[in-house]
Amino acid sequence: MLIYGLFATYYVMTVNVIYFSIMTFSFRNIMTIFRRAAYSKYNTLSGSELVPSISLLVPAYNEELTVIENVKCLMTLNYPTYEVIVINDGSSDDTLGVLRREFGLEPLPNPEMRNSIDCQPINAVYHNPQYPHLYVIDKPNGGKADSLNAGINLSHYPLISSIDADSLLEKDALIRMARTYMENPEETVAIGGDVRIANGCVIENGAVKEVSLPRKMWPMFQAVEYLKAFLGGRIGWSSINGLIIVSGAFGLFRKDYVIAVGGYRGGYPGEDMNIIIKLHRYMLENKLKYRVAFCPEAVCWTQAPDTYRILSNQRKRWGRGNLKNMIENYDMAFNPKYKVMGLLTMPYNIIFEALNPYFKITGLLALIGYTMMDMTHWRVLAVFWLINFLSGYLLSIGALLLEELAFKRFSKLSDLVRMMLYSMFKFFGYAQLGGLWRIQGHIQYLRNNNSWGTMTRQSWQEKSDTAKPA
Amino acid sequence: MLNTALQSKQEQTSLYMDIEQSVKEAAYETNGILFISCAGGPTYLEKQVRGILESQPGVNPKIWGGEEPGSLFILFPGQTLDAVHFQGLLLKQRLQESMPDLVVRMTLTSFPEKKQLTQEVLIKMEDSVKQQASGEIHIFTREEMKTMRSRILIVEGDATVREFLEIRLQMQGYETAVADNGLSALETIESWKPDLVLTELNLYGIDGLPYIHHIQQLQVPAVPKIVVLTEQRVEQTISLCFQNGVDDYITKPFSPVELDARIRRSLNSLRMNLQGLNSQHIK
Amino acid sequence: MYSHLTVAVYFIYGCLGLILAGMLTLFWLRIRAIRTAKKTEIYLQKHQDYFKFVQTHLSGVSELPLPPGKLTPLERRVIQQRIMEWIEQLKGDMRDKLIKLCRDAGFVDDDIKLLDSLLYGRRIAAAYRLGGMRAAEAVPRMLLMLEQQKYSPLSIVIARSIAKCAEREEQLTEMLKHLLRHGKPIHNLAADILMETSLDASRLLLKLLDDENPDFVKVALVAMWGQAVPEVVPSLDRLVGAEEKEVRASAVKLYLSSNPVLKDETIRQLMADTDWEVRAAVAKSLGNTHAAGSIPLLRAALQDPHWRVRNNSAESLAKLGETGFEVLCQIAKHGSGVERETALYYVEKTMAQEGEHQKLDQMVAYNKKKLLYERYFGVAEAKPVRQVAAVGGDYTA
Repeated sequence: MLIYGLFATYYVMTVNVIYFSIMTFSFRNIMTIFRRAAYSKYNTLSGSELVPSISLLVPAYNEELTVIENVKCLMTLNYPTYEVIVINDGSSDDTLGVLRREFGLEPLPNPEMRNSIDCQPINAVYHNPQYPHLYVIDKPNGGKADSLNAGINLSHYPLISSIDADSLLEKDALIRMARTYMENPEETVAIGGDVRIANGCVIENGAVKEVSLPRKMWPMFQAVEYLKAFLGGRIGWSSINGLIIVSGAFGLFRKDYVIAVGGYRGGYPGEDMNIIIKLHRYMLENKLKYRVAFCPEAVCWTQAPDTYRILSNQRKRWGRGNLKNMIENYDMAFNPKYKVMGLLTMPYNIIFEALNPYFKITGLLALIGYTMMDMTHWRVLAVFWLINFLSGYLLSIGALLLEELAFKRFSKLSDLVRMMLYSMFKFFGYAQLGGLWRIQGHIQYLRNNNSWGTMTRQSWQEKSDTAKPA
Repeated sequence: MLNTALQSKQEQTSLYMDIEQSVKEAAYETNGILFISCAGGPTYLEKQVRGILESQPGVNPKIWGGEEPGSLFILFPGQTLDAVHFQGLLLKQRLQESMPDLVVRMTLTSFPEKKQLTQEVLIKMEDSVKQQASGEIHIFTREEMKTMRSRILIVEGDATVREFLEIRLQMQGYETAVADNGLSALETIESWKPDLVLTELNLYGIDGLPYIHHIQQLQVPAVPKIVVLTEQRVEQTISLCFQNGVDDYITKPFSPVELDARIRRSLNSLRMNLQGLNSQHIK
Repeated sequence: MYSHLTVAVYFIYGCLGLILAGMLTLFWLRIRAIRTAKKTEIYLQKHQDYFKFVQTHLSGVSELPLPPGKLTPLERRVIQQRIMEWIEQLKGDMRDKLIKLCRDAGFVDDDIKLLDSLLYGRRIAAAYRLGGMRAAEAVPRMLLMLEQQKYSPLSIVIARSIAKCAEREEQLTEMLKHLLRHGKPIHNLAADILMETSLDASRLLLKLLDDENPDFVKVALVAMWGQAVPEVVPSLDRLVGAEEKEVRASAVKLYLSSNPVLKDETIRQLMADTDWEVRAAVAKSLGNTHAAGSIPLLRAALQDPHWRVRNNSAESLAKLGETGFEVLCQIAKHGSGVERETALYYVEKTMAQEGEHQKLDQMVAYNKKKLLYERYFGVAEAKPVRQVAAVGGDYTA
């Protein structure tokens, strides 16, 4: 029992050592990121004919409350040529109706759908010449991946960007991404953006006007969690080209390669991770030079679930999708043909991410059992727990430091203190819940339960009201 | 009571006449005037101002105490507007260094001909200071004397550019208002009814072609002229803008001189249209 | 057992130490940032009158001074930043005056000194600001910097500064050489950077077009978009036959945008080009030339494997009067597959434009087309023919 407990302790230490190394890469790159953002004038680029055109794909399912605000926000981006394609995925509410009324949309006769990727037949495409860059596709319900595929089939431009309908893009987000793309256009197949939690921020005219931390507990935990994952993790992973996921909320892709790998995979959640794994696989198998980049200065603000029920559903869904992706692509792990992806990213994600909760919980149980047999060994238990806590906390502090060095989004001293505290509280309950949700997700997967669970939305309008300082 | 009011009125008139006389006697055609008002200023204000100004070589100011306590008229013989402006800057900074709580309000001007500096100008200058809310330095231009001035709404998200345009257009004698996003621009057009909208295309709230469309559908008696000043250089956008009734399109970086000319041209064509309408009416 | 525990305990101590250090750094950074922000705000307030002064007298004849009194380093930086913002937005004499102010105030000299700083961050920041102040004297030093720099996002920053400051064409070509030597196909970005120059761009582009370095040619072709330069046509004539696919495509597009008179033989050749971009560009331009002879070519191109070529051909046919429109109707009615679909889409699109024609001749043309439409599809019903799902996949997008 002790041996297993020790094994679990070393397991935790190994996870964290890997994580520390990844974070070291993040630290190596952070000043470059800061400087490239600070010393680039986006205004000249954002009016230039030389910037590639982008199709924004916005899948919407039952979003009647937020969709108008979001589309308006997306239509006022700082970008020379782009189009917004909203895909109404068979909503049961009036998503299509509110869109049609607000923008005076009429069905297009014979819309041009290029069936580059298989997707369900669509009902109609709506358009209004007064809003020349807005299209709305209406289709029967078929899931997010299928909606994105339908959007790709209609899209007119060589780059596509997937955006969640509950997210707000910063005005410069797209041009910042395009700048990253233009730096190396041939090799870049995908670029991820930074996702931040909008709860608590003041939103006006479809833009975040004042950045602030969420006041409620659940969004606050997620805020520090996202900071750690995006800044601490993804900057580092992308610098060794081992990024395994580009967030579905905001990512940019080369359309030709997305079509080459057959578009998005439906049926399971986690299509955002899936497409990236497929791109890695395709490029490596065809021996093409490529990179999956990460552009943390391009920011997308998203509405985080603020109740236990919605959050747990979301996390179970992630766990389910994650497991599916790992099972589908297990052959890449430990295969030198797949380079960083095969030797580091995939093994790390299988052993240290997907299986993480099992090792931690069994290790803890083993050590508790061991201590029960002989109470004098409580120290071993304490050490196990302390390692877990302190190394995790150190990573959180590292992420905060990255934020402070490069972005400085939170200006108040009190925000800093709150983030430090919540990063600590995270280890007393929230982290454990995360493990539990992941296991529940795995169980759902094995039981073949593939529902989406509930996800309810608040309107941005209400949000901005509640977000105003009381 | 009436008597003292009358008396002060007379004193004031004599003050203006005094200044006018000094201008006439000045050795230069160009003359600058600065009026300064510090509510609740100390009695030794005049002395201090004199000290500051005379510490610099080449400045020969003449100073009169104004009617209200803490107000002064200063004549700078031979000084052009930028020189007078710089003196104002210096004066304000020095005064505030020694008395940090003092609210200094100023208006200043400089005319290239002696005869332009009339009593009327002096009275107007004094009035304009009274209307000031904050302690900024106001530049008095001859255009301010006109009654009918064209109204221009400046719509621009970037605060630096917005301020630049505002200062420039005011110096040209236009009446201006500003908006920093598309939605408040639409509201202002409806309520303030400008003759011309000088606008960026890329704005918060609503922008681009839908924004131009909205301007044209507003419930106003006359749709304002639209001059676009923007970073957007994509040809297709430019031609779409012209198709949708934009009167002129200027890309940044821009030459302010050219901008002035284009604005004048657009306003002229507006006037011609109006005259055309009126003469038709008469017929 | 205990050795294991010892390792673990050391690990814990290590973590604790690092956490503490991290927290202290965080607080220090945050407090410093707050203080700088506050001071900046105060300085901006303090110099508001000065900023107004500068903006009011930019068009005057006399030189602009710095604000009166002694300035702290941060104060100077705040003023410099604001002047750079103006320089970025303005053209002509006023900008030159601001540039001179930067030089007189010593901002340029300060930053040139920083180009030799030991800290990389300072050097980059200085290069950026020198670009903002259009400091020509800093170009040789910055070119050296660009040459020594590994390709990174910051190479772009330096290159942009050089392009802004350069006062001779050779400096620009040298900048391009350094920027493109890494073999990355960043021609669009390079063209955007190049166009920042205040030198006569069209002359430079002409030179680049005739350069033997294919990368320079590509940059020039890309940069010429949207700039009508009639003198380039001879060079383009040569490049239309270029070996390299990308060069040829851009050259053809650019060439056609000047609305040249093309020989039938040339058109046939271009429409049979292996590159779809070339075919698409030609198909598009044929719609504007009103040459009835091109209708058979366009009709054939409706079966082109690439959708953009098909679309452009259909669009051009719709523009070519009744004859062109009738061909579209025929195919929409009797054709099959992708060809029919494209034709149908453009027939409907043309019909939907009713009411947008204000001029008399446009209305006449529209009505003629409408008659044709009714001959093929019967009198227009309330609902147009709608067919959504396409037959067969198209993998060329």
